[in-house]
Formats: sequence, C-alpha cells, structure tokens
Amino acid sequence: MRTATPSFSDLIKNPIAAIIILLAISLSFLFLPPKLSNRIKMTCVVPMRPLQWATCFCSNSASNFLDKVFSGWRNAHVKKQLEEQVSEFKNKIIEQQDTIYKLQSKLYTLSKFQAENKSKTKPIPADIIGYDSLTFRKSITVNAGSKHGVKANDIVVSNNALVGKVVLVSGGSSVVQLITDPASRIPGRVLQTREQVIIEGNATGFCQLKYVPRWAKLKKGDDIISSDIGGFYPPSLPIATVMETEIKGGDLFQSVKVLPKVNISKMEQVLVIIN
Amino acid sequence: MRWFTFFCILLGISLFQSTLMNWINIGSAAPDLYFPLVIFYSFLADIKRNTIANWFVGMSKDLFSEGSFGINSVFFIAMGFFVWSIRGILFRGHLVTQVLVTFIFSCIYNILYAAHATLSFHSLSLSATLWTIFTCSLYTAIIVPALFWIFSKLQPTQQFFSQ
Repeated sequence: MRTATPSFSDLIKNPIAAIIILLAISLSFLFLPPKLSNRIKMTCVVPMRPLQWATCFCSNSASNFLDKVFSGWRNAHVKKQLEEQVSEFKNKIIEQQDTIYKLQSKLYTLSKFQAENKSKTKPIPADIIGYDSLTFRKSITVNAGSKHGVKANDIVVSNNALVGKVVLVSGGSSVVQLITDPASRIPGRVLQTREQVIIEGNATGFCQLKYVPRWAKLKKGDDIISSDIGGFYPPSLPIATVMETEIKGGDLFQSVKVLPKVNISKMEQVLVIIN
Repeated sequence: MRWFTFFCILLGISLFQSTLMNWINIGSAAPDLYFPLVIFYSFLADIKRNTIANWFVGMSKDLFSEGSFGINSVFFIAMGFFVWSIRGILFRGHLVTQVLVTFIFSCIYNILYAAHATLSFHSLSLSATLWTIFTCSLYTAIIVPALFWIFSKLQPTQQFFSQ
C-alpha cells in the first residue's frame, strides 16, 4: 500500500521537521557570500533604524539632562568639556610631535603627499544610533550612509583619534567596525620609538599590539599612531596608549596591552572621513 | 503563547540591547537580554513553539550584530533544545533553577561563540575571554528574576506550567 507524500504544512506540524527546516535556513544564511548576507541584514534592519535613533536620542537627552542637574554641585558638565578639550589638544600635540619627527628625518616629499591626501578627504559628522548586541564583537551604528556619500572602508575618527572603519553601508546608516573588534587589524607605529606594530582588537576595552620584537623598548604611556603602510589608513592618527608590556619566556614577540585614545562607551558623535 | 506579545518583547529587547546597554554595563560586563528570553520559552513552551521563538530571537540578535549571519539562531535553537530536553528533571518554576540554568547555558553559549570568534580571528586572549564570559554570564543570570517577572506579566505562564 502506498502512502501519500507529506505536505509542507504536515512537515511544519512535526517538531523535528520544524527544527531541521529552521536550522537549514540558518545554515544557508551562514554559507551565503558575505556581501549578500550583509545586504540582507542591512535591508531587514532599515525599518528599525528610526526607532534606534529615537531611543538613542531620548537616552542621550536624558543623560545630558541628568548631567546638567548634577553640574550645579560638581560642575560635571564643565569638567567633561574641559576633559574633551584636553584630550583633543593632547592628540593634536601628538600629531605635531610626529610631524616634527618627519621634518627632522627630512621626509619632505612624504609630508607633501600627506597634505595632498588630506585635502581630498571630507569629514561627515554622524551620531551613534546603535551598538553591537554581541559580547565578542565591537561595532557601532551611525546615522550616515550612502546618501551622505559614505562608502565601505571609510575611516571613522573622534577627537582626532581613530575609532574604526565602515564595514556595512545602507541608505541612511552605516555599521562601523571598532578598533577593539577582534576582526580589526590596523598597521601602526610607536610614536616615540618608531617601531612598526599591528594593533589588534580583542573584544575588551583594550587592544593588543602584535609582532612587537622582544628588543623593542616600549614603556607605559607611549603613544601608538596609524602608519601609512598599506595605504588604507591615513598616517599619524593617534590610536592608543601603551598600558602594559610583558615578555614571556621563549616568545619571539612582546605582549603589549594598549588603551584606545577614544572612550568608546562615552562617544556620542563621530566623524566619517570620506575620500 | 501569544506571538504578538513575543514579537513586542523581542522588539523591546533588540532596541534596548542595541542602544541603551551603556546605561547598565558594569565595566566590561554586559548582560545578554536575549538569552533569558531563550531560557524562558525553553522552560515554558512546547518544543515547536520554543524552536520557532528561539530561531526568531537568534535571527534578531544576528541582525543587530556584526557577525556571521545565522550563527546565533543556530546556537539559540541548540541551547533551547537542550534546555527543553532537560526541563523535565528540573524544578523550572523555582527562581534558583531559572538563574542557575541561565548562568550555565549562557556560559556554554558564550564559550561556543568565543570559540567561533577565535577560529575566525585568532585574536581573543584566553584569560580575558574567560573573565568576560564569566562576568557577562553572571550579569545575565542576575537580571533573570527581573526579566522573567516582566516576561511572565506580559506572557501569562500559568497555562505553560499546567501543560
């Protein structure tokens, strides 16, 4: 006796079949090409962006209101502004120091090239409207997208310090991979010793330096800036400060922990640098 | 189980998780608001509804994060299935059970995700990762009583326990 082939509705009613179907859908998403899956993601999330923006706006407004209330007692607001200015000036000093280094080394041609490159860029201010929901990934969503001229791989800065790069772009918003994301690798240089390093995120509030030779003399407080090796990031952009160095037994390289220049949890606005 | 309520809860959690976490983070410890929802439905719904709910929760988390698309839905379906399969031997109505199960399965989920991230990027340090897993799972477990209370107010649970 022949049995009828079960219909799709019969399959859905069977729990095991439902699990298998849903798993298959998820796995098929996993094996989609990244470009396609990113496009699906951005398209699905677009209706949520205004809600995210509104929530962030309300949260920032509430935060600012509370700040103002408490400023009467502790001048918190003024202190915050002063701290931001000091941080900005410190970063500018670092940039100036780096320029002096380059002039001393008579790298006039390179400086000229840098100036030309800078003139081609245009900064776009953007508000942060969302954060990554995963513990082990670090990204932010900003309200500037392809409508504003933002493209994938554009650089994002705050207070003259590197924040990350744009990885996904939709019409009115973009996802920025932060320098603390485990997938982030940035070619850099130690400002004081001129050692070349790779700054790598590790999903904590800190980053680590890769391939720092054992003999490199790094100390706490040394500044890490971006280098133009690879031509992806603009040179001389402050990134982080050395916090700890450790040389383990037989390792070829030092283990160096660095603190990003920007406090990502306190940022509200960033600048997207478009070429 | 009311699906409209479920999607409203999911929308609320997604918005909170993707915008307001800075308000409740303690250092590097950030609670995962999605995970208690997975445990809640695994404890209370039947296998089919539980699987579908967990799939939606996972997809929602995937949409609001910069990782592989689909990975969280796979993990959440698996976690939901395991919790559902052992719930018969647990006193699932008790708060301690809910907190402990959330903590243990959150640790397992985070370890799995960290392993996936390590294989993909080779940049997570073992000690920092273990500490992050512990603190985040602990924080997630600590907020379970409040979240379960809210979920049960929105989604009455008496009918589930009588099943």
